[in-house]
Amino acid sequence: MEAVAIEKPKTIEPAITYINGSEALMRALVAEEVDTIFGYPGGAIMPVYDALYDFQDRINHILVRHEQGAGHAAQGYARMQGRAGVCLVTSGPGATNLVTAIADALIDSTPMVCIVGQVGKKLLGTDAFQEADVMGVTMPITKWNYQITSADEVPEIVAKAFYIAQSGRPGPVLLDMTKSAQLEMMTEPFVYEKCQNIISYRPRLTPKVDQLEVAAKLINEAKRPYIFAGHGVQIAKAEAELQAFAEKTGIPVATTLLGQSTISTDHPLYVGWLGMHGNYGPNVLTDQADVIIAIGMRFDDRVTGDASKYIRQAKVVHIEIDPAEIDKIIKAHAPLVGDAKECLKALLPLVHENDHTVWRNEFKKYDAIEYEKITEPELSSTEGKIRMAEVIDMLSRKTNGEAVLVTDVGQHQMMASRYYQFKRPNSLVTSGGMGTMGFALPAAFGAQVGASDRQVVAIIGDGCFQMTLQELGTIVQNKQPVKAIILNNNFLGMVRQWQQLFHDRRYSFVELQNPNFIMIAQGFGMDGHTCTERDNLSDSLDKMLAYKGPYLLEVIVEKEENVFPMVPSGASVSQIRLS
Amino acid sequence: MTTYTICVFTSNTIGLLNRITIIFTRRRVNIESLTVSETERKGVSRFTIVIKHESRDEVEKLVRQIRKIVEVLAVFGYLNDEIVFNEIALFKISTPLGGQTLDVEIINKKYKAWVVYWGLDYVVIEKTGTEDEIFEFFAYVRPQHEILEFVRSGRVAVGKTEQGLVEYLPEAEWAYYL
Repeated sequence: MEAVAIEKPKTIEPAITYINGSEALMRALVAEEVDTIFGYPGGAIMPVYDALYDFQDRINHILVRHEQGAGHAAQGYARMQGRAGVCLVTSGPGATNLVTAIADALIDSTPMVCIVGQVGKKLLGTDAFQEADVMGVTMPITKWNYQITSADEVPEIVAKAFYIAQSGRPGPVLLDMTKSAQLEMMTEPFVYEKCQNIISYRPRLTPKVDQLEVAAKLINEAKRPYIFAGHGVQIAKAEAELQAFAEKTGIPVATTLLGQSTISTDHPLYVGWLGMHGNYGPNVLTDQADVIIAIGMRFDDRVTGDASKYIRQAKVVHIEIDPAEIDKIIKAHAPLVGDAKECLKALLPLVHENDHTVWRNEFKKYDAIEYEKITEPELSSTEGKIRMAEVIDMLSRKTNGEAVLVTDVGQHQMMASRYYQFKRPNSLVTSGGMGTMGFALPAAFGAQVGASDRQVVAIIGDGCFQMTLQELGTIVQNKQPVKAIILNNNFLGMVRQWQQLFHDRRYSFVELQNPNFIMIAQGFGMDGHTCTERDNLSDSLDKMLAYKGPYLLEVIVEKEENVFPMVPSGASVSQIRLS
Repeated sequence: MTTYTICVFTSNTIGLLNRITIIFTRRRVNIESLTVSETERKGVSRFTIVIKHESRDEVEKLVRQIRKIVEVLAVFGYLNDEIVFNEIALFKISTPLGGQTLDVEIINKKYKAWVVYWGLDYVVIEKTGTEDEIFEFFAYVRPQHEILEFVRSGRVAVGKTEQGLVEYLPEAEWAYYL
């Protein structure tokens, strides 16, 4: 055999190394300081997952059990962090499973960047395996979406995505990335520059001076002014400005559902919350205010009831970052388009010190009625099953109103809002606009990841829980100490309530044959127990709160309990019912 | 019902037409006509959308929602008397042997329409004008000739303001077509 001469290797010029689209994506995410991704792999996103393998030291990828869970977890994370939550899923069903969460994030102004795999560029439009027109599907429910078809686009588009998701009125952005773009090499060196502005997109942050003057005049001349604080206050982190503004002017503050916890419930100017199941006085007295100062809220129909009969007597100062919300439902006499924090800062020196004690005392009269007719009876029952109100009230005391409450959708959601006494800002994560059942468990997980220093408690109905209960697996695998309380009444309670009140008790498909929830949790490796007796409730909550890891507490509550006050759907707020 | 002409200036990107029309669909507003083309500025498209609506308020809400789209540079809503507008129609008219002869003089002088193509047994006439003028011409042609095909372009419009609308776009270094 002939010996093969070993050739001395020639010296190789160090070539410029280019990276592929997947690695570019990873580097872009790192450049955006993303440290957490909620995701689920699949065929069309595998190159990205392969790149992610080398970035595990910088990016904590959390494997969920269903893409909807990734979406809601990213929402919970985003709401705690005040910056975009990131989801990573595959094409087709992976992307369509994310749709509910994207719609939820849009309507509740939650920043989110969803990166979705797509079939290769050559296969686009051919009905390829796991191909869905995700751009088309998500167009109406995203703030922006974009299909990345070449690796070179990655840095610029990712930068735009984060900028759009997080600036102005925040919202979800979707990037549909073809597999070919994930695999192909960039043809230029990777350079990342954060997006600072987009010519066609310029969210206005500071209000117009002339409108400020109009607003200040209205506020200064008002006899019965009234502040509505919405989610926008929390998004703008304007809690301190809101408080300063209210304290200087002496104006009572009510919040929307999502505006809760922007002002402490024990603040003397806080009067309660608005809406279908909000407080009595705050709803009814909207009809007596002469100037409404609406801050970062959009007059949802659950707040206004019949909008044609809503606050017709009042002049409206509308502080809102999204110009499309101005005059959409309620005409604004002084529209202040801008960031809530900037607007309140600008308005503060223009308003006079005032004291509206007489007006504020009006609220107390109604509070007394609400307390006597609803709150007191709900909290002091000694017979029958435990009532939802008791659980929330006790939880509120035991956590000093300082926990992050993540609620699902239905009666328990309204009860949680009624009875939890929020003391800290940014303490309620709930699905407000979309009303997505199944939101709470994954969102609570995401919130806990986003706020590891806070106690996160999810309040979940027995119906809601069964929509996303697989995320128990995610919670256990990631060792997040989420506490979940199922308020189990064996019914789809809110629908049942409507059927009782408006459909002659014709209970149409609202009763559930429930599984053994604790056994399910234990199957996932999560501890928990059931509380059936009032006498055990306090100990049960103590046990749950003291538990080191995640814990599930099921409380068997009164089956046919109703949430009051209630503004019947389509009625005016003055028609609010107390029973 | 009032006719509104909505002019939308956008960056020229894929899928934008969809994003804009979705807003009309959601609000159940029918689009009477829609034209899109690139403007004198490179990369800037202009949509001219004609709708009929009972409520000015609702049209204003629609305009504000269009303005929210990230790629939209500017949106203007107009009533008919605020704009100069026109469209083009093409009439394909049968001219068989022995059929009625085409009165080109009337067509040219009275209706300001032009024959732009002669086929063996048909002609194509181009008529530019408002919707009313086009249908006036249509009414003239139909009793005398068989109309084989008829198509309208949809409205194009410019505002009656002194400046061009592109002057209202955000300031930037725009590239122009010469």
